[in-house]
Amino acid sequence: MVAAAEIATFLKGVRLFREFSANELLAFAARLDERNLKEGQVLFREGDPGEEMFVVRTGAAIISKVVSGRVEQVLARAAAGDFFGEMSLFDRSPRSATIQAETDVALLVLDRDNLNLLIEVNPRAAAAFFHSLVYVFIGRLRASGELVAEITRWGLEATGLDMESR
Amino acid sequence: MTDAAPPRRARLELLVRRDGEESGFELHTVGSAAAWVKMRPQRVAAEHFELAEVTSRVDRQRSFILKNTQTERFLMLSEPERFLWDQMDGRASVQDIATAYVLRFGQFDFDLIPGLIKKLQRAQLLSLTPASRLRYTLARHRERRLLRAAETALTALEHINISSRRVQPFFRALYRGGGLMLFTPVALVCCLLLAVVGAAAGVRLWREADVAAGFGANPLLAILTVKLLFILTLAAHQIVHGLALVHYGRRVREFGFTFLHGFVPTFYVDVTDIFMASRRARVVTAVSGTLVHLVLGALWFLVALRASNGGFVQAFAAASGMLQWQAFVVALYPFCFVEMDGYHVLVDVLGVPTLKHDALAYVKSLVLGAPAPTGSRRQAGLWIGYVALSVVSVIAFIAFNAWIIIHAISS
Repeated sequence: MVAAAEIATFLKGVRLFREFSANELLAFAARLDERNLKEGQVLFREGDPGEEMFVVRTGAAIISKVVSGRVEQVLARAAAGDFFGEMSLFDRSPRSATIQAETDVALLVLDRDNLNLLIEVNPRAAAAFFHSLVYVFIGRLRASGELVAEITRWGLEATGLDMESR
Repeated sequence: MTDAAPPRRARLELLVRRDGEESGFELHTVGSAAAWVKMRPQRVAAEHFELAEVTSRVDRQRSFILKNTQTERFLMLSEPERFLWDQMDGRASVQDIATAYVLRFGQFDFDLIPGLIKKLQRAQLLSLTPASRLRYTLARHRERRLLRAAETALTALEHINISSRRVQPFFRALYRGGGLMLFTPVALVCCLLLAVVGAAAGVRLWREADVAAGFGANPLLAILTVKLLFILTLAAHQIVHGLALVHYGRRVREFGFTFLHGFVPTFYVDVTDIFMASRRARVVTAVSGTLVHLVLGALWFLVALRASNGGFVQAFAAASGMLQWQAFVVALYPFCFVEMDGYHVLVDVLGVPTLKHDALAYVKSLVLGAPAPTGSRRQAGLWIGYVALSVVSVIAFIAFNAWIIIHAISS
């Protein structure tokens, strides 16, 4: 079990919690659960129900989405300081992607009860959290646009429909 | 006003789960069409599908019902799709399959193969594996640190790709600026004359000159330099292929440099548009590139003959000439297990695009006593003949090189 102080120190470097004061971080860290994954272990699969978001403390996880059969497209890799799983936490929909440990991974778990508690007890810290979250979402939205362009380019090349050179 | 920058090469990273394993997976990076056409589609094992033929009572058109016996999914296949399905045995690449399709149906449909692969993947009837067996083996043993490092290094090298898809105007200009002369009877006669003169020069060098002495104290460095220069001449080989395309009114889709399978430095030109032309055009396109090595080899031998005996220039030119002519033979000679220009001409003429794969599978089954791939007596003879000739040729090639090295050392 990692001490709350140690977790708080780690969280200080995570973008989502940058605006938290030391005391706020300490209180918040004490409420987070921990989960460890062995290399190759699946945390959850696309379509599973979910009520938690995760922050990667150490290691790396692959975020992938089923394309067909056994083949999945790698959407991103989550390394130390990255987070995932927040979509199901907010909109209560099934998981949109599969998370699998690429190496041994240590995660911090934030569930809905703890998030609500944060909003209730410390609205200032919660506002800072959501503010940072919006910035991260903007970054991911831009990355999604890039990915769509990349896949379209790939598709055009693969099918020989490269209009560019016609 | 300037043109927008060309789009960078697109890549997809795919995670492929291993059958029957909860956590096992492999990661593959697929980079654009160049890599895609080298993929080998692998249909599911025979016990996991059933195929039934249905014939329309109205127009007598044949179609096929394909059933995945594991998922109980059904697919309707047309006759051309059925033909493609038969080719998807995990040994033929997408490129081989496209060639087979052209030879069978006399036309090419750019959408048919990707469309069918997608349909079959959705029905969990097909998987795609990388063309390189070395890469495939490395990927399967990624848990070993050394092999993982090797695979990472190869992947990094494979990502080095300098290419352009706006090369048609360049090739057209080159053709009009003199390239068209290469495709005349005069050029062919000159090429043959040069080959005869070059061969005579080579024989004289062999008999009279002390070529090996010219490399002096640093033979290894000299040989590496000869090899580097040779790699540059591969660009000329590919450019002539491109000019042949222009000669037959087809489009050069891409020209570039990359590391084939991650470790073989090579120039390449996309000549797939030649499928739309006649067989003669395909043969000329394949052969014309290799003639570059015949001409360059002859010129190098002539340079070596005129250089001072025992000097570095003579040794360098003679080694370059030898390398060029070996490249000519390897590129044009079809029986050496290497799928180069001569092999493509052979399979085109025979109408058997998967000759090497089929032949190796057949002979392997004979050696191991396993069930052999089905085929007619003529096919079996062709397969055995191909493997036997290739084995003899490879042994002869190695023996010839060993003999040259021994001769050079002893003299």
